[in-house]
Formats: sequence, C-alpha cells, structure tokens
Amino acid sequence: MEDDIEMQNTVTTGTSESNNAANGGTDDSQRANDWVRIESSDGFSYIVKRKVAQASGTMNNMLDPHGGYAEARTKICTIDERQANLWAPSGIVTEKLVEYMCFKSHYQTVGPKEDIPVQEMQERIPPEIVLEVLLAADYQEM
Amino acid sequence: MSRARNNNVRGPTSALTEFLRASGITPTTVARRAATQQGQQQAAAGLSNDDSQQQQDEAGSSSGSRRPSRAASRRGANRRESGYGSDNLDEDDEGNREEDQDENGADEEAVEEPERNSPAPAKKRKLTKAAEAKLKAQEKKKAKGKGKKGSDDEYQDDDDPYTSLSKSMWSSGSKPPVGDFENCAKCEKQFTVTKYTMAANPGPGWLCHVCAKASGKDPFKKPAAPRKRKAPGDKREVVHFVENRLPTLVNLCIKVVTQHIDDVESLGDIGTLNVEAIAKAMAKNRSLTAENAKLFYNTTNSKLVLYDATNLSSPAFESLVYLNPNLTSLRLDFCGQLDDPAFKVFTTSLPALERIELLGPFLVRSPAWKAFIKAHPNLEGFLITQSPRFDLDCLRELVSHCTGLKELRLKEFGKMSDDFLDEIADNLGGQGDSESILEYLDISSPGGESCSDAALVNLLSRIGGSLRCLDVSKHDLLTNAFLLGGLQQHTHSLESEWENPPLVSLDASRNPELQTDALEAIMKHSGTRLESLNINGWKDVEENGLRDIGRQGKEMRKLDVGFCRNMDDFIVKAWLEGEDVKGRKKGGCMELVELKVWGCNRVTANCPKKPGLALHGVESHIIRRT
Repeated sequence: MEDDIEMQNTVTTGTSESNNAANGGTDDSQRANDWVRIESSDGFSYIVKRKVAQASGTMNNMLDPHGGYAEARTKICTIDERQANLWAPSGIVTEKLVEYMCFKSHYQTVGPKEDIPVQEMQERIPPEIVLEVLLAADYQEM
Repeated sequence: MSRARNNNVRGPTSALTEFLRASGITPTTVARRAATQQGQQQAAAGLSNDDSQQQQDEAGSSSGSRRPSRAASRRGANRRESGYGSDNLDEDDEGNREEDQDENGADEEAVEEPERNSPAPAKKRKLTKAAEAKLKAQEKKKAKGKGKKGSDDEYQDDDDPYTSLSKSMWSSGSKPPVGDFENCAKCEKQFTVTKYTMAANPGPGWLCHVCAKASGKDPFKKPAAPRKRKAPGDKREVVHFVENRLPTLVNLCIKVVTQHIDDVESLGDIGTLNVEAIAKAMAKNRSLTAENAKLFYNTTNSKLVLYDATNLSSPAFESLVYLNPNLTSLRLDFCGQLDDPAFKVFTTSLPALERIELLGPFLVRSPAWKAFIKAHPNLEGFLITQSPRFDLDCLRELVSHCTGLKELRLKEFGKMSDDFLDEIADNLGGQGDSESILEYLDISSPGGESCSDAALVNLLSRIGGSLRCLDVSKHDLLTNAFLLGGLQQHTHSLESEWENPPLVSLDASRNPELQTDALEAIMKHSGTRLESLNINGWKDVEENGLRDIGRQGKEMRKLDVGFCRNMDDFIVKAWLEGEDVKGRKKGGCMELVELKVWGCNRVTANCPKKPGLALHGVESHIIRRT
C-alpha cells in the first residue's frame, strides 16, 4: 500500500533528483522554521512546523530538499491510511500521528530531570484505532 | 595540652609553620574567632592542631594579623553570612586584597583556591586542594573526633582536616582547665568545666551543661550521621539518554494493545487490517511477547507467521499451538526457546500441518524431530534453518515418511554432509520412471564443510527434473565441475527428455570458485528462461560473461551480481538497453525489475536507470549527505 506510493516516488522522481540538488539547499536554520502541511486522504489538513514534522523519519526524508521527493517542493505530506476501506476516515489516524509528533518534538529538548508525561500520551490513544496507528507509526518511522 | 604553654622546644618546622609564625597567627586568635562563629553556618577557618600548638609556643598571643592562609576558608565563601571582609581589614601583609575581592565576589564554592600570592602557601594550597578532594570523597572525620555538635558540624565538614580546629582545640584556647569552676554565661550558675563545656553562642563565656543543652547543642550527642559525599568521580555529568528516551509511537501503541489484549473487540476489526503488517511492525521492535501474540491467535487461523518469536517461551509456544489448532502453515522466526516439550505439543496438536518453517530451533533434539515427522506424513514443506541437532537419522525418517515433500530447506545445518545429499537423492529423487517432486531445495551455508561436487551432481541428477529452485550458496568447494556436470547435465536433460521447464531461479551466490565458464554454461542452457539469477560473490566473473547475461537472459527479472568486481556502468547499460550490434540494438534484459549491485565498486551514481527498475547497492547512494 504505502510502500507502493513511496516506491513510485523513488522511481518517477529519480531523474529530478539531480535537479533538486542543483537548486541548492536553503539555509538549514531557515528551513527549520517554516510550516509544512500534512494531509490525510479524507481531506483533513494539519499545518505544523517543519521541526514537528521531522519527528517522523519518513516525513523528514520526504521533506528533505536533498532527497528529491515531490513533497519537498510542495511541502505537503500525504498520509494515505486505510486505503482499502473507503468508508473509514483516515483523519483520525493522522490526527493521532500529529499529536504524537508534537509531543515528541516538544519533549525531545527537555532536560534529564524533568518528567515526560508518557502515560498521558499513551492514554490518549483509543484502543479502537490503535492498530491502525501502529501501522502508520511504523511506516512513518516514529 | 601539657606542652601547650610553657615549652620553648621547637622541632623542625614546615613552610607552613614558618609562614604562620611569621604572620603571627596563633591558635588563640583563631580559636577566639572560631568560638564566636560557632553556631553560625560558616566554614570555620582553622589551623591544624599541630601547627596551632606550635604557634602557641612561639608567638604567644597575637592580635595582629589573624590570617591563616585561609585556603580552607575560601571554601565556604558562598555560605558565609558575614563575609570575611571584616576580617580582612585587619591584615594587609599578605597583600591579598585582590583575593578578598575575588572571594567576596566569588559565588561558587571554590574548589580551586584563588591564587594566593603569599609566600608559603604554594605547598599549602596544593595540600588544600588535595585535601579538599579527599574531603569531598570521604566523610569528614574529625581530627580528634571530639565533641562534634550536631548540625553545625556539617559546615565544618568542609574544612580541610589539616586546617580545621577541633573543638577541643578551640576551646582549649580560652577554656579554663578542666575542673575549674565557671559561671554560666546564661544562667549565671556555677558549674564545673569539663571537656564538654560549650562556649556561649554570642560572645564570650561558657555555658553550663543545662544551658548548652537548652540551646540545642548537646555536647554528648553523637556526631550526626555523616553525610555521604559523592566522590568527584561520580559527579560526572551522566547523560541520561536511556532514561528519558521518548518511547516511539510504535512502542506506545504496542503497550496499548497489550493493555487491551483481553478485550478483543475493543481493538477494532483486525481482520480487515493486514495482520502480517502488524506482526512485522511488532517484530521490528522485538516487542512480540506471549501477551501480544494472543492478538494473532485464532482458532480459524490456517496460516500463522511470527517474524520474531524470541520472547516466546516454551509454554508460550504450547499455548500458541493450542489456540491455533487448525494451522496448515506455520512459520516461526527466531524460535530459539522452542524446546522438546513444546515441540511435542507441535507433534500432537497440529494435525493439519502441511508446512512448517522454523528459524533457529536449536533446542529440539533428534527424537523430537523424528516424532514430529512420523506424525506428519503429509508434510509438504519442511524448512529449517540453523539446527545442529538434526542429524542423518532424522533425515532418513524425513525422506522415508514424507514422500510428498515439495520444499526442503536445510539451511545452515551443522551436520550437513554428502551423506545427507545421498539420502535426499535416494529417497526423494526420481528413479526410473517415477518423477521426483521436489521443487525447492535449499542446502546453503553448511556448518561444516561444503559438500563435494560429486554428491551434488548425483543429487541433481536425481531430482533435477522437477527442481525449480535451487540454493547452494556457501558451498565453497563447488567448482565449475559442479555446474558443468550437474546443472548443465540436468538442465540439458530436462529440455530434451522431459520437457520440463529449465531452472527458473538459480541462486548460487557466494561460491567464489565459480567463474566465467560456469556462467556461460548456465546462460547457454537455461539462460533464455532464467528469471532470477544470483551470482553474488562470484568475484572473478569477467566482463564478457556478464555481458552474456544480457545477451541471453531475456526473461531476467531479478539479478544479483553483488561483489562481481568487473561490474560497471557500461555493463548495466548493456543490460538495460541492449547492445549495439552492427548498428542495431540487440538483446538486453528488458524485463529486469530488480538489480542488486552491492559491492560493485565500478557501478557509480551515473549508471543508467530506467523507470520500473529498482537498483540496490550503488555505493554512492549509501553515503548520506548530512
């Protein structure tokens, strides 16, 4: 499913890789402050800072301008969960992913003495969607 | 202190002593000051007992510069309520003004003493530092161990043992000899001076025992349990990576799943999701446990795959079997904890099992294998990797009982040998009229020596007819002869006599002896139909041989030419686009979908690509740009 999408991207934008690299990288620090959009397949959009999106390994690679993916140019990452079931909204799953990304990027920089409310985050994942979230999280490398 | 007052004997003196004498510092002055500072939270300045005793001899009392080298005193700089500024006004001979300013400004506990430009203390300072370190490393042991009085003493803990005065020393300076009568400073009563008599807190005078106790400082109280100080070594910054590592979302989800494992409905309809994908996700973290695994168990399961059964113990395997009784196909990777008792349950309770695939069942012993085999004569797939206990006997059982075996994998076996091959050949091979039906044979990576050519050729001659997939990697002794004699022969015979399709997939990787000739032979005979070729490790294959793949391998879909040193961009181009023969493009592997070139240094980032082709292993791709 999602693997296909990624594979497609690799293949079709393989030739544009050199183009993107040639365009040169914007300043790293500059990049860190801009906003990116994460879209779910049923139309929900989440606009977050790039730093937050980088909590996900896959999205980090997608948005990396050196990586040559289309998402880097458009700054939109599409999460296509539950492709098979058209009735099932993927917005919920995407929302949980974004929630976790905010949680993670916030607490990554906290010092060793502070407590991280992991339990709180865990409780916010309802069991009804936990399996989908698990698969999505695994794909997103977070 | 019998020698305290009237002796004029002078022994050898240290630099320190000299200095103190020179500046007229005596224990008297120090003690007086110290006595008034008792009870306040201040580090006491002090002299060592010995020094002070000697000083008493020489200098008599001096009200002059009352300045011990206050290396020790610096320590408590930040804690003093009244700075030493007032004291410093008295002396100027050391010219330590700047230090005073330093000190008063200094905020932190100075482990390193500020530079003192006084003559003597070079040595003293070193002493101090060393002593300080020692001090911090051990609990403070009072020099004479006398009369530690409660919490005050903690601050005197900081004192350099060399320079602190013991209570008795201070007291002894002004205290009347033991036995005398004194009037209590507080209650004006007369009392006998003992060695426990305490000085009055503000101002001169001595307290009787009652008042001393009332003020909270019991002279008899045992020294407070010494506070443990961490050795400086321990005060290293420990970067707490592990403790505070944020759990990944995958981990969190798995924890939630485990929480709700018993309430299956609440987890949503697992059937619509890809169960395999979930199993893989959990296996990645090695988080599949006996608890989680229940997620996958279902009495109606006919196929079960667990990609990482490391955390499943023997009873867990038993429950696996009991809960999935209708399995026809079972695959367990990393089932290291699977042992005889559990395997017995496999034997008895999986009647429908046709295919079993185990990675790492090294605990299962020979009798258990035999029992299992006997119980499952319908076995079609027996794929075992890494089991040193599966021996010839077991194999005999296997081939005699399970005549319908279609897939056999005995990979990474310790006991693999030619005998094995003979057995297989004899029993599973077609003889005479009957055909063999073995389709998949994997005997790669033998634990001991590799099998010899002859045995393999023999094997192939028997089973080659039906063999679709052959993996003989890592049999180092195989040479061209094997290929020429074995493969060539059987494929040859295939085509001509039985009209079975030739080898569709050949994995002969990592046999470094095989070279160009072999490759040509392969291509000649089955090249036109070969769909998947793995010659990883054939380091000496020459360019021509490689190109030959392109010429003949029209159907090639997957190619692995890792570590063939002669691979380069041009060959890839020839494969992808065909070669220019007399002006016309000819050949080429048009169907190629996957190409692996790990370890081929000459394939660079410039090698041609084609949409639809997945190219793995180009070195320059691996180097990340960070």
